[in-house]
Amino acid sequence: MTDISRRQLVRGAAGLAVVGGLAAACGSGSSPGTSSTPSGASGGPKRGGNFRLGVTGGGAKDIMDGQNIITKPDQARLMTAFETLLLFDENYQLTTNGLAESVTQDNPKQYTIRLRQGIEFQNGKTMTADDIIYSFQRIGTKAYGLTGYAATATMDIAGIKKLDQYTVRLPLKTPDATIPQTLGSYTFNMVPVGYKAYPAPQIGTGAYKLKSFAPGQQSVHERNPNYWRSGEPYFDTVTIIDFSDSTAQVNGLLGGQVDAMTDLPPSQVKVVQGRGLGALVSKTGGWLPICMAIDMPPFNDVRVRQAMRLLVDRPGMLEQVASGYGFVGNDLYAPFDPGYDHALPQRQQDISQAKSLLKAAGHANLSVDLHTTNGAAGMVETATVFANQASAAGVKINVISDPNFYGNQYLKLAFSVDFWGTRAYLNQVQQGSLPTSPYNETHWPPKSGTGSNFESLYTQALATIDPAARIQIEQEMQQIEYNNGGYIIPFFGGLIDAYAANVKGLKPSKGTLNLDSFGHGFRTIWFG
Amino acid sequence: MSRFRLGGVGGFILRRLLLGIVVLILVSVVVFLATQTLPGDPARAILGRSATPASLAALRRQLHLDQPAIEQYWTWVTGLLHGNLGRSLAAQEPVSTLLGSRLVNSAVLVAIAAVVSIPLSIAIGSWAAFKREKAFDVVSSNLLLVLAALPEFVVALVLVIFLATTVFPRVLPAISTVPPGSQPWNNWTALVLPTLTLVIAVAPYVARIMRASMIEVLESDYVEMARLKGLPERTVLIRHALPNALGPVFQVIALNLAYLAGGIIVVEFVFNYTGIGSALGEAVVNHDLPVIQALAMLIAAVYVVLNLLADVATILVTPRLRTRL
Repeated sequence: MTDISRRQLVRGAAGLAVVGGLAAACGSGSSPGTSSTPSGASGGPKRGGNFRLGVTGGGAKDIMDGQNIITKPDQARLMTAFETLLLFDENYQLTTNGLAESVTQDNPKQYTIRLRQGIEFQNGKTMTADDIIYSFQRIGTKAYGLTGYAATATMDIAGIKKLDQYTVRLPLKTPDATIPQTLGSYTFNMVPVGYKAYPAPQIGTGAYKLKSFAPGQQSVHERNPNYWRSGEPYFDTVTIIDFSDSTAQVNGLLGGQVDAMTDLPPSQVKVVQGRGLGALVSKTGGWLPICMAIDMPPFNDVRVRQAMRLLVDRPGMLEQVASGYGFVGNDLYAPFDPGYDHALPQRQQDISQAKSLLKAAGHANLSVDLHTTNGAAGMVETATVFANQASAAGVKINVISDPNFYGNQYLKLAFSVDFWGTRAYLNQVQQGSLPTSPYNETHWPPKSGTGSNFESLYTQALATIDPAARIQIEQEMQQIEYNNGGYIIPFFGGLIDAYAANVKGLKPSKGTLNLDSFGHGFRTIWFG
Repeated sequence: MSRFRLGGVGGFILRRLLLGIVVLILVSVVVFLATQTLPGDPARAILGRSATPASLAALRRQLHLDQPAIEQYWTWVTGLLHGNLGRSLAAQEPVSTLLGSRLVNSAVLVAIAAVVSIPLSIAIGSWAAFKREKAFDVVSSNLLLVLAALPEFVVALVLVIFLATTVFPRVLPAISTVPPGSQPWNNWTALVLPTLTLVIAVAPYVARIMRASMIEVLESDYVEMARLKGLPERTVLIRHALPNALGPVFQVIALNLAYLAGGIIVVEFVFNYTGIGSALGEAVVNHDLPVIQALAMLIAAVYVVLNLLADVATILVTPRLRTRL
């Protein structure tokens, strides 16, 4: 489970979230502070208080490193003290409200990063180009095993140049239009020259400075009086407390021992709301695909794949697996990407069509094993509900929940249920749908026939600077996957968090992280 | 038992100690076999997806998996005897550092629960026996029976609902996290609900045995004799009946306290109490073998010691057994 959650987090983190267009990244954006200043109904933000956050999923493996996470509380800790060059807002649009004033693509293989001036680290040192270069080099050092390492594959880290005190030139080894998304992903944080992970002093540009940290128990963070965004943050301290169980978390919230909690069980939403507390329901791009390996029988026949996709009752699946918190999928990933093809017709359950496809493929009485594990919430349930739905067409699906699912057999199975986090389309392709991808469950793309040009389309898209032209290529890729791909994507899930009545400023967010990206680093929320 | 005889209570304790050590050695073999030498590669199980040949080799070295099983066992056991519990694989620090404060926290909780529950249950059981079939006996016996039937987590959640979240909100804290650097008693209100849960988990059994034992004693000839001699009822109960009734109860107390050493896990989960319970649960999830092994040995040792204490206490209050030694 820990291996799985680590994988989940790493994949989510490398996921760079969902795109705002490149234009947003290159534009001047709004000035810092204005877009993030919350407008509460009951008066403006107030200063003070100790914000206590209960987080599950942590333990002895907890760390604090400005550019790395292992557990979920690590994500929350990261957000207290460290910041990225570009920033995703709650609608997952990339903005220039981060540490960089602008990020410009000079040509397909070169970006220029211009820093906001006058930002100080928590030790009073001014942030300059040297710190940025150090930060990139640190992430790009394979031996450190940092979360963002995979995303630096296209960067020519050794070739990064300081143009002046506040300007950095980033050359690329191969064209990569997704660099702005990488710079906005939440582990791609900027740290001062010489920075090291805890137990070394944790110095970032963020709103809170680390005061104490006991892995598996809690960490305390103090307000950074020197924070560069005027007025923020509002709390005096933030305390992040590890919980091993969501029952204790909910009780702590109801009993007033914590002010907010991550991952409220769907069954508790009504309970919490009935008690006058807030439930924050965010529709994210997380998904639990049913994966068919396109080169393994019986799924090497495209008709079998199409039939399986027609067996799914998607709204039913969403209701049964996620209590309806989420939205129906269409076998395509990255739903928040501007390039997501909304024009493709929504796939519906069609048992008779599925039966005739299976018959034509010679699998009228198909019986097949579906492998999964009790990993991310809903994986086993997705497999079980699908097996039940498929039985309507006489297809026998034998669900195998294997604790060692992520062992040697992983990625070699013909039929499995896995999980993914929010990610932009091209980033997702790079992670899961290319021969070089680290987690390619479906063995996509085909070596010959329809779709064999998928990889060259991907390379072409990465090298295309014009967003409209790039989206056109992306949609061509999606059409191939829609018709011939190996994923069944029944729905996209959500994040549900809960908070006390006096916590103000939280908004539903499309991001990867809980609680509106932990209250945008605990600086856009306050006690009302 | 052994052929050679050392006289008196001292000899008895010595023999039981030796027996306890034999039991612990057997337990250590079982723990070792169950964790380290099962079929399959523990290193691979621990590292899971993130396994690389280099990290596998390093972990095998760290766990001494590259040595023969006998040698592995010897390395581990001699380490234990030197107080070296190994290094936690998840936390990358000595197991003793990881568990130190948690052990204290859990021990405090169990100790308070014992101090409250033992006299309380002995008093309730004795009084119920004394007032046999009267109102107090009927009510307490039925109530205890109901409480004994409830699993700890149900008791814990009902207490939380009553006193912390819903019926009388915020009378007591719903969770009992012990912040690092502070001691459990620094925030004593947070100890009330977990302690109460443990007391309710243990007291019914002890009280019922006490009642049964006391009834038997009260019907015995010597109690009747004492009464006939005209001794005050107080003296009859406390001087004559109670010591004789306690013998069998000590065994039950010991078993229940030993059970607490393991059963505290559930209670720690419900209250997010910073103790060994949550550490054990997490170690199992993380495949953190050194931590699992250390805690398994610790809980086994608690069982052995408590049983020894119970036997000694039984002997001491039972002249018949004492003189036979």
